Amino acid sequence: MEVFAFSLFNGVLYGMLLFMLASGLTLIFSMMGVLNFAHASFFMLGAYLAYQISAYVGFWPGLVVAPLIVGVVGAAVERWGLRPVHKFGHVAELLFTFGLAFVIEEVVQLIWGKVPMPYDIPASMNFAAFSWQGLDYSAYRLFMLVISVAIFAALFLFIAKTRIGLIIQAALTQPNIVSALGHDVPRIFMWTFGFGCALAGLAGVIGGNVLGTEPAMAITLGPIVFVVIVIGGLGSLWGALIAALFIGIVDNLAISYDLSAYPLFAAFGVERDVAGFMQDLVRLTTASIAPVLPYFLLVLILIVRPRGLFGTRDV
Amino acid sequence: MGKLKLAVGVAGALVACVASLSALAAENIRIGLIEPLSGPIAAVGSEALDNFNHAADRVNKRGGVLGGRKLEIIGLDNAMKAEKTTEQLKKAVDMGLSYVIQGVGSNHALNIIKFLDKHNKRHPGKEIVFLNHSAVTTAFTNELCSFWHFRFDANVDMKVAALVTQISRDPSVEKLYLLNQNYAYGKSFQAAANKLLKQRASNVELVGDELIVPFGKVLDFTPYIAKIKASGADTVLTGNWGPDLHRFVKGAVDSGLGATFYTVYGGIPSSISGYGDAGKKVNLKQVTEMHENQNGLPEDLRDYMKSYIEAYESTWYPDRYRWLIGMLAAAIDAAGTADPIPVAGKLEGMTFPGPLGEVQMRADDHQTQMPLVVSTLTSDVPKHLIYKGKDFGIGFKTDGVVTRADTTLPTSCQMDRPS
Repeated sequence: MEVFAFSLFNGVLYGMLLFMLASGLTLIFSMMGVLNFAHASFFMLGAYLAYQISAYVGFWPGLVVAPLIVGVVGAAVERWGLRPVHKFGHVAELLFTFGLAFVIEEVVQLIWGKVPMPYDIPASMNFAAFSWQGLDYSAYRLFMLVISVAIFAALFLFIAKTRIGLIIQAALTQPNIVSALGHDVPRIFMWTFGFGCALAGLAGVIGGNVLGTEPAMAITLGPIVFVVIVIGGLGSLWGALIAALFIGIVDNLAISYDLSAYPLFAAFGVERDVAGFMQDLVRLTTASIAPVLPYFLLVLILIVRPRGLFGTRDV
Repeated sequence: MGKLKLAVGVAGALVACVASLSALAAENIRIGLIEPLSGPIAAVGSEALDNFNHAADRVNKRGGVLGGRKLEIIGLDNAMKAEKTTEQLKKAVDMGLSYVIQGVGSNHALNIIKFLDKHNKRHPGKEIVFLNHSAVTTAFTNELCSFWHFRFDANVDMKVAALVTQISRDPSVEKLYLLNQNYAYGKSFQAAANKLLKQRASNVELVGDELIVPFGKVLDFTPYIAKIKASGADTVLTGNWGPDLHRFVKGAVDSGLGATFYTVYGGIPSSISGYGDAGKKVNLKQVTEMHENQNGLPEDLRDYMKSYIEAYESTWYPDRYRWLIGMLAAAIDAAGTADPIPVAGKLEGMTFPGPLGEVQMRADDHQTQMPLVVSTLTSDVPKHLIYKGKDFGIGFKTDGVVTRADTTLPTSCQMDRPS
């Protein structure tokens, strides 16, 4: 039972990290209908900026400044890149962000080079806050958890409870009426996109020192954030949260319980040390495939419920 | 217009032919280096280019080969894509190269071996020899062995043999956990470790044997670290590299796991940079052909390391690159020609003064036999690792040297030699 609780706890920690990574993406999609393929690249930019700023003035200024810079870059991208493409529809927007992802990645590598950056968690939070089952949990991991929860709460209140949230939501479906009421719709979109990118940048500042600030970080993180928002339901904040937690917990349970596929084959009289054809399948354990389980889930969800767990529209 | 272009092209080609004829006597011996020079892991490829340029420069400064001809390294970018490796090989054929060097990625090396087996059979007189500096899949010098392939690095089994030999000497190792990447390389590491642990370190208890999804798919190592902790392991033996190693080490330090890491690639500069602060806290060991704090390195090598750091502001790390170029130059001089077949013949069985003693290119399978050294990452050493002008504040300290006899393993190669 303690193993279960322990896995659950680790799963929640990991899940909240995933949620933080995906939050900006789901915000931009729910507010603007744009699926931002460059999300992980903005995350990468945030991490590199945070490393550079922290090298001069420390972690805390970086925590504020890096997301701001990424947010302004994002707003500029919307103003001069995405907006002209907007009139050609969502496919054009999608292709634009797809190309943008590679551009940002290359620019980051041109500036910072191809070697991983030694971006570390701040010394002030680099101590064991508590331990459980022999593992230490640093204060920084709790800080990550707090920030993720804060991001969720802030977004939830912002979208559902504020006037600006209502206007942005209305602008997605009724842009002409919103604009007739005197609101500058293109500008609303620009700042929404910038805000979503700033959230990616913030995730970069906070996650970059744990996950590693290196040239392949955007490529390796890109797919999983999409899985989170598709399973949760495109554009649903609650969905993204539940999906991220679910993925985190499944991952931890799969690794710690490490079930084997062998009993299924044993029922058919297959030997455990069979060689050649199907040998890897017979020896399959859940731990060895844990990180790809979310992708199975993604395929399954798309078949059974294309709009995701909490989505209001189909993919 | 088309005709004009053709005419200009032909004229240009004629001029080039005449020019190359007149320069034949002192013509450079050009060697292709097929590596990722762009893309996310271009750091590895461009570093190899620096390393080989330096190694070639050293030979050239001493008068080159065949009484004055110079070695010239030509970078050919494969962007770490299999189809581009083949494309660059074809380019090497068009350029009339006789030697290609490659090492990053065993799948690329396998491409080259298969390509050359066919090409060299079909185009006699235009053979290309493949000098492999780092692709470590053992099969290349066992069942997949080829006359055209020479490996200058120790293969996976040899590296594991050295690590396991050192583990058997380390009294603090009682319970060991294996964790590797689930693909060809990681699985051959796992198989070799299982076999050699039984043979050489039977006193060590294997308490875990895990394969993970490779190439940065694992974001959070906490559940693996929790399992290692629960197993009571005091030591982890891993072949992991890249983010799969950096995150693992960072996570282990952050969770206070306290286990010792025995690694293959734990000490390469990009790994050290990737650990950040954790690099100073982790107890991590690597296996290499040398490191610069090793006692009794030959005078010539020390001079070589000094000139490298002066030219590139980086520590000389992969000494096998030095002996790859050194042995090639010696083989060309011994053969009295730069033609690949006689040179390949001279490479077989050739010896070279390595950093820890003599190394030899075994004729049976074209696998270099060499002593290896296991060392610990620590700040308590005279020379720290420097990379592109940055001092990491840590370096390596020898735990133990594993002799050539102890890293020499049998081969199953049945070599098919050209008649």
